[in-house]
Amino acid sequence: MMMKKSGKENQFSPIRRTLLKGSALLAGTALIAPVKVKADSQQIQDPRTMQPTAGLQTDSDVQVVHSVCLGCNARCGNRSVVKEGKLEKYSGNPYHPYNHQGHPIDYATPVMETLSLSSPVCAKAQDAPNYIYNPYRILQPLKRAGKRGSGQFEPIGWEQMIAEITDGGRIFAHLGEKRVVEGLQQQNSDAPIDSNALELGPKRNGFVFITGRLQSGRKEFIDRFVKGAMGSINRIGHTDICGLGFRMGNFALTEKKQVELKADPWGSEYILVFGANIYEALQPGVNTYGAAVAARHSSGKVKFVIVDPRLQNASVHAEDWLAVKPGQDGALAMGMIRRMIEQELYNTKYLRAPHPGAAADLGHGCYTNATHLVIDDQEHPDNRKFLRISDLETKSTNTNKQDHHVVLAADGSPVAFDTVDEALLDRETVITADSGRTIRVKTAFRMMKEGVMEHSLAEYAEISGIPCSQLKRTADDFCSYGTRAAVCQYHGAGNYTNGTYAAYAVAMLSCLVGSVEVRGGYLTAGGGMAPPGKGLYDLQDFPGRLRGKGVRISREKACYEKSSEFCRKKAETGNGYPAKRPWFSFTKGGLSVESLSGIDEQYPYPCKVLFTYFYNPVYSTPGGYRYRQTLEDRDKVPLHVSIDTSINESNLYADYIVPDVTYAEGHYGWLNPHAPALRFTGIRTPCIEPLTRKTADGRPYCLETFLIDLAEKMNLPGFGDNAISDTAGNGHSLHRAEDFYLRGFANIAHGAGVPSASEQEVAFVERNYPVAGFKKILSADEWRQTCYILARGGVFTSYEDVFDGENFKYGLERLALYNEDLALARNALTGDFFSGTLTCLAPADSAGNILAEKDQEYPFTVISHKMNVHSQSRTTSHRWSMEIFPENFIVMNKKDADSLGLRDGENARLVSRSNAGGIVGKIKTGNLIRRECVAVSFHYGHSQLGASGLPIRQAEKVFLGGRQVVDKNGLKPNPKLATGLNPNRISRLDEHLADTPMVDLTAGIPDFSSTRVKIVKDSKA
Amino acid sequence: METRRTFIGRGGLAAVGVISGLTGAEQVRGLSSQAKPAMIIDLNRCTGCQACVIACKCYTGTAPEQFNTRLILEVEDTRPPRLIFTPVQCNQCDDPPCVPACPEGATFKLDNGIVVTDWGKCTSSGDCIRACPYGARFADSRYGQRVDKCDFCLARLQAGLEPACVEACSSGARIFGDLSNPRGEFSDYLQNRQLTVRKPEKLTKPNVRYVNAGQGTVERT
Repeated sequence: MMMKKSGKENQFSPIRRTLLKGSALLAGTALIAPVKVKADSQQIQDPRTMQPTAGLQTDSDVQVVHSVCLGCNARCGNRSVVKEGKLEKYSGNPYHPYNHQGHPIDYATPVMETLSLSSPVCAKAQDAPNYIYNPYRILQPLKRAGKRGSGQFEPIGWEQMIAEITDGGRIFAHLGEKRVVEGLQQQNSDAPIDSNALELGPKRNGFVFITGRLQSGRKEFIDRFVKGAMGSINRIGHTDICGLGFRMGNFALTEKKQVELKADPWGSEYILVFGANIYEALQPGVNTYGAAVAARHSSGKVKFVIVDPRLQNASVHAEDWLAVKPGQDGALAMGMIRRMIEQELYNTKYLRAPHPGAAADLGHGCYTNATHLVIDDQEHPDNRKFLRISDLETKSTNTNKQDHHVVLAADGSPVAFDTVDEALLDRETVITADSGRTIRVKTAFRMMKEGVMEHSLAEYAEISGIPCSQLKRTADDFCSYGTRAAVCQYHGAGNYTNGTYAAYAVAMLSCLVGSVEVRGGYLTAGGGMAPPGKGLYDLQDFPGRLRGKGVRISREKACYEKSSEFCRKKAETGNGYPAKRPWFSFTKGGLSVESLSGIDEQYPYPCKVLFTYFYNPVYSTPGGYRYRQTLEDRDKVPLHVSIDTSINESNLYADYIVPDVTYAEGHYGWLNPHAPALRFTGIRTPCIEPLTRKTADGRPYCLETFLIDLAEKMNLPGFGDNAISDTAGNGHSLHRAEDFYLRGFANIAHGAGVPSASEQEVAFVERNYPVAGFKKILSADEWRQTCYILARGGVFTSYEDVFDGENFKYGLERLALYNEDLALARNALTGDFFSGTLTCLAPADSAGNILAEKDQEYPFTVISHKMNVHSQSRTTSHRWSMEIFPENFIVMNKKDADSLGLRDGENARLVSRSNAGGIVGKIKTGNLIRRECVAVSFHYGHSQLGASGLPIRQAEKVFLGGRQVVDKNGLKPNPKLATGLNPNRISRLDEHLADTPMVDLTAGIPDFSSTRVKIVKDSKA
Repeated sequence: METRRTFIGRGGLAAVGVISGLTGAEQVRGLSSQAKPAMIIDLNRCTGCQACVIACKCYTGTAPEQFNTRLILEVEDTRPPRLIFTPVQCNQCDDPPCVPACPEGATFKLDNGIVVTDWGKCTSSGDCIRACPYGARFADSRYGQRVDKCDFCLARLQAGLEPACVEACSSGARIFGDLSNPRGEFSDYLQNRQLTVRKPEKLTKPNVRYVNAGQGTVERT
């Protein structure tokens, strides 16, 4: 667009400098008046013309939408500028706290007054047009036209595809496959999946739906189909590869209530960063968490210390670096806790408060079970459980107190936990019940302490690789900020086998100083503003709704000891162990890795139909290369349907690929905050029309259209006519995505009690938002109220709104120094109990072999990380980022490189026990990584997403780039998309578990940090 | 795909940046005509996130592998070592060596201090590229090797918007303001912070100034 002459200009919205006096946003921006060049300046030919912007959106050909990003899962706000139907640019959303370090503009500000305000968003979002218009996107459905993995696909008509996936049959007979494929319809049966093991559930569970980058909105939609309509229990997320390790530590600490807690970046004075890449990744992302820490650091308000084998970008402002050995974050944390115990640096008063009221009186938002008594008595039937009043008063009929935990009052007498305000902390004793039975008990604190005291400080220093003096100094420093100190742990802390206990110890640090759920401390998230599923419309329940029953193929949240397999083995051998594969009764779940391993071993039952959504396990899972065999195997995966935007390393093996839209065109959703602190619901809504092709009745090819058409074809409940009821009991159809999501938005607007939008704002939405084309789905009043949240991209509050004085308003009630559920869970391979409190465990394989010892002849440990311009696996399309960083490297310490005779820029091969062929990359040396480690970032080393040529028929019609990316042989290879290496391709497999990727036996955590390698100079270099 | 960089004689598109054309609009707004834009970059806030670099790329559409602003990444051998990020771009020098170097007078300083290149006059001699001590200029192979560089997003400034890199800076490391009428944080930085410039020995008087991260040599400007 060229700069326009006056006339038009008079309509430009000027910057509203007077609009938002005193707001943090304004203080940082709009400090310069529009520049004027002297009127007699010569005209020059400018190298560029003006890009449209939101501030100039009154141009008739420009549209602006406030929505939520999906450049990564941080889910910041965004503002799109669309010109003539094409997305030009994303910036941030000034209403969204994630774009403004927690301090957005006042939510009531009329939207027209905000359009010239600056609002930042990170590099991934700035690069998004290249993702949206990625020429390698597929626009129409593909069916396999050769052997699995051959890359031979051909377009298939939409309705033909729906029929084949529904009915199955000899659908690959033309490829010489004589087998009869079971379709979805054959899974729609209540017959048991295994008549010898009824606990596994119905045949429905043979339908497995694994979701990669899933978001709220689509999550509810997919669950409606998989669980509610098909009745399968197997809608499995990918929490495991996302980062289950640190989550399990928090899960144990909070007694399964929460998995995400982080140091408050706006209020803390000291942050101990454990494996959290705060300037390059994290959720909230770099433009929220990292930006807030950097801004506060610059004015001396916060300092932070990094615990990581690799010194990350945040080193620029870090106070210190603890170059911990990979997989030993727990040993370091436990060493610090030992120091805290020995020096009594922990918050004694807080830990002695036995109930919520007592903790509140001390100014804390939640209390701990530190003083609660645990039965530590082999003879007692409730050994490992908390002592309860019912254990002491066996004859009592007072039922309301029976379940109460017991503490020791100041005089040592056992009393119900809520009857005293202070209890003994570090005790063990023998108590006599009214029956005369004696019971040996210990406080939870004593149980934890015993776990901690198993090693000396010097041993912890040795195990963790951190000098004793530095360990002590860090502990002392951490404890010197009262409740304004906390850890910020993320994927690095605990993403390895035995990681549950490492992350539990790390989480315990914040608990012991009393900073959990206190301003400046270790905080959960504040949650969303209103439920999307109820209110005006019921999006949860529907007539005929099924609920998944039985055991998930990942065995998550299922107890092996209740299985027929266990009973059978116990009857045969007297001991029900080992199970064929681990079971995970104590886990947050989302075990995609164990799902695929379960599919591979057809355990505990075979998978018949696999759907994968936005999921690339072969690339993204450590050791995911193993699953190429699984996905290739037509017996193990008889029918595989992938829903995705492009062809990746995994759906290369699929039978059908259903094209999906990107978040610019769809992915409607409601997005609540990550921890810490904030409270809001972001609304994701499209800014451009879908780029995929359409059905005969004009609906875009995408996830929703696909599931709706399958459901309608099979007459499943919950879809089609009268599928959604309103409060008056009227039925409404669910025939397209908007039928569902727009009603969810209306529920949120209604539940949050926002006002109706002004006429001007309704006009803004109707002029700019593609979703306005479906406004008739709602009543006129509902639409006006919904426009209020659409115009702003959600319902938002500010950081200050979530505190009541110093206390976080939406916090937890109790923290566990001892976790009873964990203490009662067993290792399904050995029958051994897991520890209920802290214990120092090194990463090991499923047979218990410590990997650092077993793989000693492989001297280097591989660690991996994200970069600030990429998300995990799908951003090689980010053309501008790829110009900055065209490849990744094998990063190693210069001293190690010198000793091997390796120099910067040379090629080297990394070889592991599980991948003797290894992977090749360029060496980069320096002093930002611990010795005997190599760091390799994700994002690179792709063989698909355009990196390889593929023999696809009619390829010019299939790909968005058309002839640009296609020649007579199909898709052309683009070597620029194949650069670098992928660390997951050498990850250690577990030879004791069918050579599948290693997982933690407690919770199913995949291992990102224990693979050891040799480094060999690559002769081809 | 439509390019943002149209040029007379290319594909019949005649898009001329009519810099004087906005006079009317500014009079309507009643804003100062004396603005002298400048930038201060506080390295204590820069996280090295690259958002400014990509935002610039998205806005200016520079030639492949060429950037109007980029980040220099250095490792400082302190204990512990640390990375240092320095965002760099054309400094819009008050005494710009590129201007006298141009034989055609194609590059010159506007009254507001911004150094621009007139592509109508640029003969692609490359003299200005060699003259710039900061490596801020580069030839655009798509347009006959005419020379490109940062212009503080002049068109955005004229519309009353900040440069794209400043908008994208989430931690507030890039602080943009008006030297003729400094206000708010920009004014505070001018008055109270130790500011330094790149290569002060070149005596170019840059209008992009820096606050160094932590310790390190700084000099008063």
